[in-house]
Amino acid sequence: MTREQLLIDTFVGLADTLVDEYDIIDFMQTLAERGVDLLAVSAAGIMLADTEGNLRHAACSSEQMRLVEFFELQVEEGPCFDAFRDNKPILCGSPDDAALRWPRFAPHALDAGYHAVSAVPMRLRSQVIGALNLFSSHTGALNQEDLGVAQAMADIATIGILHQRVVRDSRDFSSQLELALESRIAIEQAKGIVAEHNRVSVDRAFEVIRRFTRDQNRLLSDTARQIIDGTISPSELPREAHRTH
Amino acid sequence: MAERGLDPVRLARVVAALTAGESNPQPSMCAASAAVMHVSGAGLVLIMRGRTLGTVCVSDSLTESVEEVQYTLREGPCVDAFRTKAPVLVPDLNRLGATRWPGFSAGALALGVRAVFGFPLLIGTACIGALNLYHDQIGDLSDDQMADAVVVAHVAGWAVMDWQSVAGPGSLARQLESSDTHRAVVNQAAGMVSVQDGVTVDEALMLIRAYSFAEDRPITLVAADVVGRDLRFG
Repeated sequence: MTREQLLIDTFVGLADTLVDEYDIIDFMQTLAERGVDLLAVSAAGIMLADTEGNLRHAACSSEQMRLVEFFELQVEEGPCFDAFRDNKPILCGSPDDAALRWPRFAPHALDAGYHAVSAVPMRLRSQVIGALNLFSSHTGALNQEDLGVAQAMADIATIGILHQRVVRDSRDFSSQLELALESRIAIEQAKGIVAEHNRVSVDRAFEVIRRFTRDQNRLLSDTARQIIDGTISPSELPREAHRTH
Repeated sequence: MAERGLDPVRLARVVAALTAGESNPQPSMCAASAAVMHVSGAGLVLIMRGRTLGTVCVSDSLTESVEEVQYTLREGPCVDAFRTKAPVLVPDLNRLGATRWPGFSAGALALGVRAVFGFPLLIGTACIGALNLYHDQIGDLSDDQMADAVVVAHVAGWAVMDWQSVAGPGSLARQLESSDTHRAVVNQAAGMVSVQDGVTVDEALMLIRAYSFAEDRPITLVAADVVGRDLRFG
């Protein structure tokens, strides 16, 4: 399979998972594994920021890399941290370079056999949500083309994660929608009850319901529901829609 | 098919068709859906916990009438698609509809509908309503139309979620507020009839539905008569 074909396959495959509720862990795992194939690196990992902005391990293509990422989190330095903090790609092609940049992290990477360590930020517009780590057993940083592919993968991972958050929030939105529509229905029904009981037009009925709601400092939908269930009798409502001064 | 995800190319095409050049896509969404699907009419209905809460849009006045029959009788493709969370396919309403939905079939056939199809609006595993497709000719949907319908239902469901997501708690999406989504006059009439008859509003709604069916008169017109005090119950 050509690289271009592999790329198309990966993106179509990832886009496919974006259309409904899906397992975000599985999604990131797939992404990390595809990253290894696409970029000819030895291992790939994803770190995401939690609600307090601290990076946390999210997915990894190998157990060995997971350990290195674990050390990176402990010493709080490394390519992932820099990519996340500075919102830009970090390229490091040799153990010497790594030792200069991250004296505490570099020995752990070298111990695990990683000679080149790179990372790209995961971002959407100005929001940075994490970083994609790419480690290689060969020296030499990613070239420009690889970097473009890596950033594209990080971007699609970002979209996937943000989409998942929208999916999670959608449960709230659908109950808000239900509540809002039910409130509208209740208000119309209450207008009808008051109109019939007080022998006024529905517009007039709405005015007195609103006046009562304002005077009692309530919510219109609460007043409506109480008129429907009989807690508030239409005869308790003001006869005049507007306050007389 | 739906579990495996959607064809991204098809998805992109449907999104483009449903949102083309519209700052407020709600009125045109059903018309665009019908056009994309090559059927006579399309309607989008919101149902939650088995209650019809509102009509998002209809493609044309004929579809509006068919939807009204469905709302009045509480039976039809939309109700079944919501309940089963699966597509409802009735390619020959005259032959297949009578046993399934006696009242709805008679009403829809009288309006010239020959085939009906319903697709659930799924948000994850939750169902928030259904997409109804009506055609004036007998016949199955092609594989292509089936695939398109699943995508249209998906995009439409998410579009509604998207509208609601910016409305904030306690508010209704602007796009749904601007039209008579919740059938105001029918609910006003239900309130009035509940006082006239000394029954609950839900019971009053049933009385209005039954009257509308028995008199073969659209429920909106019956309700308007009640609100206009030309018709009394009890």
